[in-house]
Amino acid sequence: MTGSSSEARLITPTMLGAWLVLATVPLWINAIGLYPYIGVEIVIWSIYALAFNLVLGTSGLPSFGHGAFFGVGAYAFGLTQFNIAANLWVCLAGAILAGAFAGLIVGLLIAHRRGIYFALMTIAFGQIFWTISVKWHSVTGGEDGLLNILRLPATFGVVSFDISDNETLYYFVLAVFAVVVMLLWRLVNSPYGRILSAIRQSETRTAHLGYNVWLYKLSVIVISAGLSGFAGGLFAMAQRSAFPDVMNLAQSGLIVMMTLVGGGLVSFWGPVIGVIIFLIARDVIGAMTNAWALYFGAMFVLLVLFRPEGIAGGAKLLMERWKARREASRVLSSAPRSG
Amino acid sequence: MFDLLPHLLNGLVLGLLLALIALGFMLIIGLMEQINLAHGSLFALGAYFALMLVGPKPPLPADLAAQWLQIPLGWRYGMALIIAPCLAGIVGIAVELCMRRTYGKDPLYGLLLTFGVALVLEEIIRLTWGTRDHVLPVPAGMSGAFLFSDLIWSRYRFYAAGMAAVAIGLVWLLIEKTPYGAMIKAGAHDSEMVRALGVNLSKLRLGVFVLGTMLAAFAGIVVAPIWGIRPHMGVDAVVPAFLIIVLGGIGSFWGAVIASLLVGLAVGISGAYASEWSLLSMYLLLVAVVSIRARGLFGKKSMLEV
Repeated sequence: MTGSSSEARLITPTMLGAWLVLATVPLWINAIGLYPYIGVEIVIWSIYALAFNLVLGTSGLPSFGHGAFFGVGAYAFGLTQFNIAANLWVCLAGAILAGAFAGLIVGLLIAHRRGIYFALMTIAFGQIFWTISVKWHSVTGGEDGLLNILRLPATFGVVSFDISDNETLYYFVLAVFAVVVMLLWRLVNSPYGRILSAIRQSETRTAHLGYNVWLYKLSVIVISAGLSGFAGGLFAMAQRSAFPDVMNLAQSGLIVMMTLVGGGLVSFWGPVIGVIIFLIARDVIGAMTNAWALYFGAMFVLLVLFRPEGIAGGAKLLMERWKARREASRVLSSAPRSG
Repeated sequence: MFDLLPHLLNGLVLGLLLALIALGFMLIIGLMEQINLAHGSLFALGAYFALMLVGPKPPLPADLAAQWLQIPLGWRYGMALIIAPCLAGIVGIAVELCMRRTYGKDPLYGLLLTFGVALVLEEIIRLTWGTRDHVLPVPAGMSGAFLFSDLIWSRYRFYAAGMAAVAIGLVWLLIEKTPYGAMIKAGAHDSEMVRALGVNLSKLRLGVFVLGTMLAAFAGIVVAPIWGIRPHMGVDAVVPAFLIIVLGGIGSFWGAVIASLLVGLAVGISGAYASEWSLLSMYLLLVAVVSIRARGLFGKKSMLEV
């Protein structure tokens, strides 16, 4: 999927293809029985999943509390809108900053951890943020959440776009998504990204090569948290509200699940594939039965058992097999000629 | 100072109950180095199985059900304490058979597998028993209240704490005073060597896992009359269990017990001053302890960190 030649590029053919397909979504989404809002959700969760995969897939840090950063971003978007300025860019900046700040606090306390201890600590921090969001009524609105968050117009100097209906909002988040994908692609394929992969493979070895592993881990947690907060801000705008639900353990687990189902461990696009499959499956299975979590959980168990590298990993394997077979048939067909 | 006493006592009781909840989880993580995220769901399952046996509507044909209800509540409750964990243990066997494939791999896979199992079990609970709250009836001798130093105390809480203490003692005897504990611990470190010594490790691990699930279910039954039975109770229970294990240090039995008591006291005492925020105190305790002692109170280096 990602040849070595595309790694150096700013925009890869896969990216262009993905954007083009996604850009046509509003034209046919109604025809296949879905609705434009699910497109908005898919794009926002894709940003979130890509941000999350920076920690899980790229750096190998299993975070089970990422919902906290997403949620903090969502609340920050609403609170900035109510208390500071009802300007889209200010609110989104507030979401990023709040997410990154939460990431900094958590990161400072857990960046020296790895493996299961890291996972358990992120669960604890996720719960801390969740508890605060439920209990701090005066700021977060408690269980009811923050309501009446507006979909603010996107202003560029003198031009202003109204993004209050689902279709224009979709194009707005898609444009944002394109920028995020470009930035993340550069980041993952930069020297910085390579050191993160090195940390994933062996933290000890990377440290012995002279890199300050702690600082790299802390910085990637902050970047990922900031981007998750950004996605959370967009989500608050899309939902017109912010709830504590997105911060609980199950939701934090779902983002891990989506990322892995898609194949985030082996592919840059894995998380996006996972989000698309998950959200559509939720709607389609959810329309047929109330017990969609049952089927999804069972699917997930089977996946971990038989295809832990996810869908993208499975696709890679198929591609390799196909290539190998083509190679083999070429050798076979050329054999009589040479002999 | 004296008005703090009820909060201290409540905290201690809560601590013992938390230790009971964490016990099965600790057994599996400490002896097998596997994280069982489905622990909470098995805990809930135990409570629901007990509800089936003790509750007013047992899943039996009408005439049998009538006969069953003839048996005094105390007997039925006692039987539920044994039968429900066994039923949960059967579920545990199924989970372990799946989990087997992840041994020796990154511990993350075991964690993810059990997350999926937890989703499935919670949904099955929702489908079978509905989403509403249930109450688990308790025998008359154990329920009710008594007066002590001008305060009303719920009698059942103390029975529950007593059962928790007994379970903790029995598990300690099993893992420290019998050869099984040593074998399983050795198996987590060097499975090949243990197999070479002629120990059937797969059976032993299955046994530990099933015991862990049975303890989870037992905890569910003991705690259910206090916290109520609802589909979400598993998640509510599993998070403190994690926290206690990390706080006490992975692989340390008394570490986990002491951590539970500390958490119980922290929640109890902070409840005296800011009841809204008392749950937060345990997380703050964790952060405070872990930033000073990286592996928790009594943690040793474990292979889970690699």
